[in-house]
Formats: sequence, structure tokens, C-alpha cells
Amino acid sequence: MLEIKNLHARVNPEEGADLAILKGVDLTVPAGEVHAVMGPNGCGKSTLSYVLAGHEGYETTDGAIRFEGEDIGELEPEERAARGLFLSFQYPVEIPGVPTLTFLKEAANAQRRARGEAEISAPDFMKLARENAAKLGISNDMLKRPVNVGFSGGEKKRMEIFQALMLAPRFLILDETDSGLDIDALKVVAEGVNALRNPERGMLVITHYQRLLDHLKPDVVHVMAGGRIVESGGPELAHKLEAEGYDKYAGEAA
Amino acid sequence: MNALVKLSAFEAALAEALPEGDLRAELSARGLPHRRVEDWKWSDLRTALARFDPASPALTLTASRSPDRTAEPEHGERLMARLAGALGQGEVYELAPGERLSLDIRAEAGAGHKVIEVIVPDGAEAALHETYQAAPGALANIALVIRVGAGARLTRLIEQDASPDGVIVLTGELELAQGARAHQTTLGFGARLARLETRVRHAGGGAHLTLDGACHVGAGLHLDQTTIVRHEGPDGITRELFKSAAAPGGRAVFQGKIHVERPAQKTDAQMNHRALLLGEGAEIDAKPELEIYADDVVCAHGNALGALDAAALFYMRQRGLDDARARALLTESFLMEPLDAVADEAERERLKARLRASLGAVS
Ligand SMILES: Nc1ncnc2c1ncn2[C@@H]1O[C@H](COP(=O)(O)OP(=O)(O)O)[C@@H](O)[C@H]1O
Ligand SMILES: [Mg+2]
Repeated sequence: MLEIKNLHARVNPEEGADLAILKGVDLTVPAGEVHAVMGPNGCGKSTLSYVLAGHEGYETTDGAIRFEGEDIGELEPEERAARGLFLSFQYPVEIPGVPTLTFLKEAANAQRRARGEAEISAPDFMKLARENAAKLGISNDMLKRPVNVGFSGGEKKRMEIFQALMLAPRFLILDETDSGLDIDALKVVAEGVNALRNPERGMLVITHYQRLLDHLKPDVVHVMAGGRIVESGGPELAHKLEAEGYDKYAGEAA
Repeated sequence: MNALVKLSAFEAALAEALPEGDLRAELSARGLPHRRVEDWKWSDLRTALARFDPASPALTLTASRSPDRTAEPEHGERLMARLAGALGQGEVYELAPGERLSLDIRAEAGAGHKVIEVIVPDGAEAALHETYQAAPGALANIALVIRVGAGARLTRLIEQDASPDGVIVLTGELELAQGARAHQTTLGFGARLARLETRVRHAGGGAHLTLDGACHVGAGLHLDQTTIVRHEGPDGITRELFKSAAAPGGRAVFQGKIHVERPAQKTDAQMNHRALLLGEGAEIDAKPELEIYADDVVCAHGNALGALDAAALFYMRQRGLDDARARALLTESFLMEPLDAVADEAERERLKARLRASLGAVS
């Protein structure tokens, strides 16, 4: 479903720095599977998620990203979103003055229009919002606030998953969705994510900790270091990393 | 007076139309305000009008009712206001308590001048709604004197429609008597040059003034909002909030001055201007000034200039909004604050819808 081949990317030189971050990422996530990416701070995990989502701040210098057989490397972020790519941000952005539901309804309908589908009606959207909010323990009051404004770190992560439920993407990238969540919130969020699992949907779960993975039960765990995937294995790899840390991969950073 | 400048054909024709006297001599010697005149330095009216033809003016004023008098009203000291007085007709409206007066002003051709005086009697509550537009090649030069009586309340709404290749000069003078309240809100879109000047005198003490404005200036357009607030009596309150957004090729100007005279003790004045550049080639100039001669006052001003938040734009696009729509939504949320303060809900929603439409059309 998602095929990343020999992906090299650097900070867009227009941003001032000329810094290579991704140095040959190879990763394939078939439909229906959940893959985890673990790795030390600064190894390029968030950069990978941004590059997949089409962030202009990074430039792909080599390699390819194929999504459902299509090369999406040159597509705009919104075109990738319309194809079903959803990124749960490590640091969700606050957008003052734009109410969450207004924003999401507009996003949902923009995606639908881009796909040639009928727009969702206001009542249907509201009904869906109420159902999904209930699943994640999100209050009415939270939904009325501007996007991410005034939320704690954990609440923001919860809202990201709420957005995922509302937009029902084909592929989810979760970038450290577990950080900032206490044990109870983690369970609620993990249940929300698990509810999205189905044979047509893929997920890439970026995390430092195995506790989220205990809930999500990934099919494959990858270790990222120095801008590449350096090892892949089953769920047991996450436990091993938790116990041993990333020291043995330190050499890969060169 | 000797001629100091070479007059444009437009200025020469204007001078020609004036009767002999000081005003004609002044115009002949100095021409119209231009960039070397301090408070017009960012709005070169001379140049904007140089190729205009003042002949066969067509200026229409559509009012919600006929004026009380058509006698010659007052027009203040400003050059453009004096020109309006000398070359245009005058109308006086004395508002009844509870009245909502609307004045729709359109310059269709040539140089149109008008002087309007609006009186809000002591203790009355009234609303004034003005709309300004100028067709290509046309000038609307309007002088408006508004007297808000003791304890009276005025809600003033100014809409300045996008007028490409037209020029609008509005010189508004508000006089606030003891304990008067005035809340003015401007929504502007610019013109070849639009100058919306608001001069306020806190003549009596204890008046409460709110001056708010939002503008979205598209490519090739220019909007200048200039406010001069003079606290003469004590215990006056002034609150100003102006938000400007300029698209590439558009230019917004904010000049704000608050002047507190010695007797105006306990004045409480705050002026804020926030500006948003919507891309390369957008220009926003701002000059907030406080001039304070009283010692027991609270006065503050703020001015900030920024661009759209790139992280927010990416976030919105990741969710599926295209770049233009994401920009429009962010700009809208930036500009809404002054409009949110409009008390009348129907008016508020109408203004917001206008702003939204403008943001959807130009980015
Ligand atoms: N826009 C940028 N400008 C400069 N350096 C960047 C930028 N984005 C990422 N980096 C650097 O690239 C490296 C990888 O960052 P990131 O992808 O955020 O790592 P991770 O998510 O794995 O912690 C870090 O050293 C980070 O400082
Ligand atoms: Mg990261």
C-alpha cells in the first residue's frame, strides 16, 4: 500500500540549512498492516512523516514514495490527503479563530470534492462528530474550541485521533501520538486507533515506547537510525529495544 | 503665494473651479497632498489623481431619508475637507433618537465632492452606516462632520468597497461631547487610493470612543486608515483596534495618533494595529504615535507585522484544504476580531460574509 524506496531527503536549502536527514529509507507497509518505527531522538522519524505528507520544508533528493501504486512524491499535501494519507502530528498546530468542527467539515468536504464524491451534509457530519467524540471522551466544549487552542499536550493528541476518525483516511501516520498521554488516555487513544484497523487500511506508528505498541500490536517493528531503517522484526523487537536502548545502532548515525 | 509645484492637469482644473481666495491660492501653490507632506507620506494623492479628469462629476448619495437642511455645513480645517466644502453640496442630518441613517456614496465619474454633517442630539442613541465606492477614473471626496451630543451614543459603520482605479478621500471629524459614546467600525478593501481619515475630539470629558477597523487590500489596491484622536477633556477612554491584511501588490497604511492635552487627566487610551502580509510584494506601513501632555494618564500602543503561520498552513493542507483555502481561513481568523465587536448580529454576520467573499476571491 505504501512503498518507500531508497528515500533521501534534506532540509530545503531555501530554509537556510543544507542538511541531509533521510539517507535511504526503505519501507513497505501492505494494506491491513500496522508497522512501527522506533529510533533515537533526531534520527529522522518526524522528517519521514513530513516528507510522506508533502511538507515544502524538505526536498527529496533521491528515491520514491508510492501510495497504492501511484508515485505521490510530487503531489501537494492536500492531494496526498485526498488520496487518504493522514498524519497525526507530533506537535499539533494551534489555529486560533478557526473552530475545530468548521475546520474538519471543510477538510472532509475538500477531500470528498477532490475524490469526486458527494459532500457530507451538516447533520450527518454532526452526528458522526458526536459519535466519534464519545468514543474518545471528548466533550462538546472541546469540539467548539478553535483547532488545538488551549489544549494540553495529551488533549491535542486525542484531538488528532478524533480528526482521524472523522476523516477516515486510508493510511495513518502517527508521530509520537503516545507522548503526553497518561496510561488511561493512552488506552482510550489506542482503542480509537484500533477501531480504525481494517484490511484496507495501513498504519505507520512512530514511537519511542513499547507501551502504545502493546495496545496496537504491530505486525512489523522497524528501527530507524541515522536516517535509514537499520533493522526490522516482529513485535518482540520493540521489547528488545525497550530493554537494550538504541546504543548498538549508534554507529549507523555516521 | 507663488507656485511651488508644477500642478497636474487635474490640480489645475480643480483650482480653476475654485473661487478666488485662500483655498485657491493654497491649492495652486502646493497642489494636492503628496508623499512629501508628512501625514500623506504613504498615500500620494497627487500622483494617484494626476491623470484623472475632474470634469462632468457624477457623485450619487443614496440616503435612507432626505436631509434636514441643505445649507452649507461645517467641514473642518483639512485641505481635502475644505475643497469638499468649496466644490460640493452640503447636507445636514439631525438624527432622531433610535434612528439608523444610511448613506451610500458612489463616485461614477469626474471629481465629486460632498460635505455632510450628522448630529446626534444629547442623550440620543443612533446609528450611521456609510458605504463608499468610486468607479475607475472617479474621485469621491467627502467631508463628514459628526457631532455626538452629551450622553449620546453613536454606532458608526463604514464600508469601503474595492474600487480599482477609483480614488476615495473621506475626512471624518467626530466631536464627542461630555459622556458621549461612539463605536466606529470600518471594513475596507482599498482603491487605486482610498484614504479614510477619522479625527476625533474628546471635547467634553468622560467620553468613550472605540475605533475598530479591518481591511483586506488586494493586488493593485491601496487603503490608508488614518486616525487622530485628541483628548481635550478629562476621564476619556479610547480603544483602537485595527487589523490590516495586504495581498501581493496591495498596500495598507495605518497612521494612528493619540494626543492627550494637559487638562485631559485620567485619560485611558489604547491603540493597537496588527498587520498581516499575505505574500511577497505586499506592503503595510504603520505609524502609531502618542503625544501626551497630561501626567495622570494610562496610554499604550502596539503594532505588529507578521506573515501567515507556515506550520498552520501545512497542518491545514495535510487535512485536505488547498493552499488558497487554507490561507483564506487563516486570514479570515486574523481579521475577524474587529468585526466580532459589532454589536448588531445581522450587521456583524453581513460584514463577515463580505470579508469572507473578498478572501475567497483574492488571496
Ligand atoms: N527544518 C529543519 N531545519 C534544520 N534541521 C532540521 C529540520 N528538520 C529536522 N531537522 C534536524 O533533522 C534531524 C531529524 O529530526 P526529526 O526528523 O525531527 O527527528 P526525530 O523525529 O526522529 O526525533 C534532527 O537533527 C533535527 O534537528
Ligand atoms: Mg519526532
